[in-house]
Amino acid sequence: MDGAGTDGMEPALGKGTRKWITGFIRKKSKAGQFAFRDEILEERARQHILDSQQRETPELLDTLLEETLVENEDLQEVSAKDGPPRYYSRQFMSEAFVTILLRKEGDPLLLLAETVRENSQVYPRPIPLDAFKNYPFNLTQEEILACLQQMTETDQYKDVQRTTTSIGTVFLYSTLHLDPGHARMLAEWLDVGQFNNP
Amino acid sequence: MAKCGGWAGKVLRIDLSTGRISRDDTVEKYKDVLGGTGLGYQVLWDEVAPGTKPFDPANKIVFGTGPLAGTGAPCNGRTAITTLWPMCWPKPLVATGHMGGQFAAELKYAGYDGIIIEGKADRPVYVSIMDNKVEIKDARHLWGQGIRRTTVELSQQFGPEVCVAAIGQAGENLVPMSVVMNAYSHSAGGVGAVMGSKNVKAVAVRGTGSVRIGGKKEEWEKLIKLHLSLIGANNQHVVPSAPQPWSEYYDPRSRWKGSRGRQWGASEPTIDTGTCDPHDLNTIAYRTNNAVHYLGDIAWKYTVRGNGCTGCPIRCHTMIKVPSVAAKYGIPEVGMNTCGGLNFGRSFFKKFPDGARGMTNMEACMVGMHMSDDYGLWCNYSQLQRDFKKLYGDGTIKNKLAEKEFKSYSWDKYEKGDPRFLFELLPRIAMKEGELGTVLGLGTGYMLETWSLSEEEWKKDYGLNYWKMGHPKHHANEGDGQCGVIINTQYNRDPQCHSHCNFTRNGLPLEVQKRLAAEIWGTPDAVDALGSYTPMNIGKARMAKWSLIRKELHDSLSLCNWMGPWVASPLKERAYRGDDSIESMLYSLATGDTKSREELDRLGERIFLLHRALTIRDMGTKEMRTQHDTVPEWVYHDPEKRPVYTKGTTHLDRDDVKLAMEMFYEEMGWDKTTGAPTAEEYKKVALGKIADELNKKGLLPG
Repeated sequence: MDGAGTDGMEPALGKGTRKWITGFIRKKSKAGQFAFRDEILEERARQHILDSQQRETPELLDTLLEETLVENEDLQEVSAKDGPPRYYSRQFMSEAFVTILLRKEGDPLLLLAETVRENSQVYPRPIPLDAFKNYPFNLTQEEILACLQQMTETDQYKDVQRTTTSIGTVFLYSTLHLDPGHARMLAEWLDVGQFNNP
Repeated sequence: MAKCGGWAGKVLRIDLSTGRISRDDTVEKYKDVLGGTGLGYQVLWDEVAPGTKPFDPANKIVFGTGPLAGTGAPCNGRTAITTLWPMCWPKPLVATGHMGGQFAAELKYAGYDGIIIEGKADRPVYVSIMDNKVEIKDARHLWGQGIRRTTVELSQQFGPEVCVAAIGQAGENLVPMSVVMNAYSHSAGGVGAVMGSKNVKAVAVRGTGSVRIGGKKEEWEKLIKLHLSLIGANNQHVVPSAPQPWSEYYDPRSRWKGSRGRQWGASEPTIDTGTCDPHDLNTIAYRTNNAVHYLGDIAWKYTVRGNGCTGCPIRCHTMIKVPSVAAKYGIPEVGMNTCGGLNFGRSFFKKFPDGARGMTNMEACMVGMHMSDDYGLWCNYSQLQRDFKKLYGDGTIKNKLAEKEFKSYSWDKYEKGDPRFLFELLPRIAMKEGELGTVLGLGTGYMLETWSLSEEEWKKDYGLNYWKMGHPKHHANEGDGQCGVIINTQYNRDPQCHSHCNFTRNGLPLEVQKRLAAEIWGTPDAVDALGSYTPMNIGKARMAKWSLIRKELHDSLSLCNWMGPWVASPLKERAYRGDDSIESMLYSLATGDTKSREELDRLGERIFLLHRALTIRDMGTKEMRTQHDTVPEWVYHDPEKRPVYTKGTTHLDRDDVKLAMEMFYEEMGWDKTTGAPTAEEYKKVALGKIADELNKKGLLPG
């Protein structure tokens, strides 16, 4: 028999399932998505590739998932505040993207604030507000404006500030990491200056 | 017959005065200057006497390609066109226009590494190069036509594979602000009028041969794959503009626009550019969309695809299809170009009724491309448009023009941001009609002189981007601090150097850039955060030298300096390192002439010193530091009068810039007082004979 925890499943089948799971997680990661245990089960059922005696149960799948993660260094499990664990492949999804996905699942306020702070600290630069409307953030204009309003009213987010360029584009930055004058200059450069100096 | 790989073996020489066509052996005569700008500078040194003017028959125009043109090397489609520059003010000096497209490869396949055009034809002609068969043919039926009509006529005659490099009416009329253009949208600025002065309308080339690679096939293919793996998007931006599943970093203003959900809306079927994983070398062409970069997200809907030069995976000439412009303006609904070409029409206007990135902006782009690329007009890196806006805004145009001429323009259309205004302005520049058209076509220096305007005023105005000698800055301190300033002092036109800014704008975080800088230039301090500059240091001097030498290498090898060098990459597994030896590896394998990075850089330095020597000789002075390598006043001033090195400023300290020049001269081994290369430095790069000739004229320091 193939390893502990796979009672009732032939070694070849367990191996095949683990291979399938590996491929599934990697494919989802390449597409910029986490994989979930229930989703794996549903997909296998949809594809009619469950064992003919329907021996795949959530509990069995948990065991197989564990084994799959041990076998494949790139596969990772990450927990969020709520809900089941998420699975992804480090080979196809960066830690940075994982962080964005986790933030997206939570409060959009945190998504916005932490992303702004990260940009101001790491690069450093302000980030155009419109960036949050696009993939992978996909926030609506209303969501963004609501967040910005909330930020002005909450002490822990007051470092997130706006600057507007000469052609009316709004950029966000964090005063924790960028001086207002520097942020203003960078925004103008990123939005106007560099296009006049192609 | 080529003795080495890479080179085709012959440089064509066409004497228009006598009708004689001859051939020089490339490897025997020009191997040590590679080709491209190196070929051009060598010919001008050897064959064009000081005091010659751009439109004199004694001037020569040199179309130079390099040993990598027409090979499988990525980004190899460049032709350098070197001549005495009509806009260089107050004295014409050597400069080069650069064009991409298909011309370089086609010329190589025809068996030639370059074309030297000399003398002057007694009537309009075009040069036909069909492999071995080279003829000077009557072009009177083409003269007066735009570039497109000329290209169509010659293509109908010689077949659709022919590549035509032509001038439009602007070049014919000896308008200095004119181009030579090939393959619909690929232009070399500033050289159209020199061709026109020789009565040459076009060069049509068709080659059915190939380029021999000196090295082993498997090694060559392996190297090409390595090079492709290190490539980012246009200007070697190595991070995507939106976070992608694979990416650790991103930059919303990166030229790497491809992203899930971003589609080429006018292609059939619609193409989703997708996540563009850098390990997928088949999707490199999806990364760049310069129409979107310059015109805004609105351009996605109108994008057909990317287009570009032979052998380049980047496809930076975005093709856009805007159906509304056909009925509205009577122009073709399809246009394509990159950077300056996309900016040409829209940059004339202060604003548009629907905002900076709306539909009118796009329409102005289409109208501008349509007209400038057919008339063969040049913008001098948008200096034409900046000068126009200033002269209109401060009332100079109104004051200088006769009332009748001033009223002949629809200024209300201009004020409203109506692209139709371009139909009134651009033809007059190309046809030299009226005072405004004529003066704008002269270029900034001669415009200032003709209208008795103060160059000092231009040198104080940050917004004008003016540098010196009639030309604008190009990637100076606004993005690249002292390194950018040094680079902008060195040429007789805007420097067309991107080695430095391809690195500083690559999108990687500052910490990563500094790590790479330490490896390449010996210290992380070679690069500063944008707008957070620090005093001059040795790293910045090394970076400036490296940037200039690599630019000359690219322009001589036929590699695109808008893409290289490739010292950063999108690959996390390489810690975002590229490879600083790509050029030498490509050269060695293509030619079979093995050179290390240092050896090839020495050749690049040789070519750069040739340019320096030419400039010194033709200026008649060795006092380069004070007479040539000058810095405009606006570099030292902040509009808000903040001190230097304040975060959010990009101006520099006067003494620090002096130090920067000294450190650069020292790095180059030049005399610090004069800024001129010493005899010893010329000899180090095998230019001893040039040193002797300069010495006889008293143009060597010490």
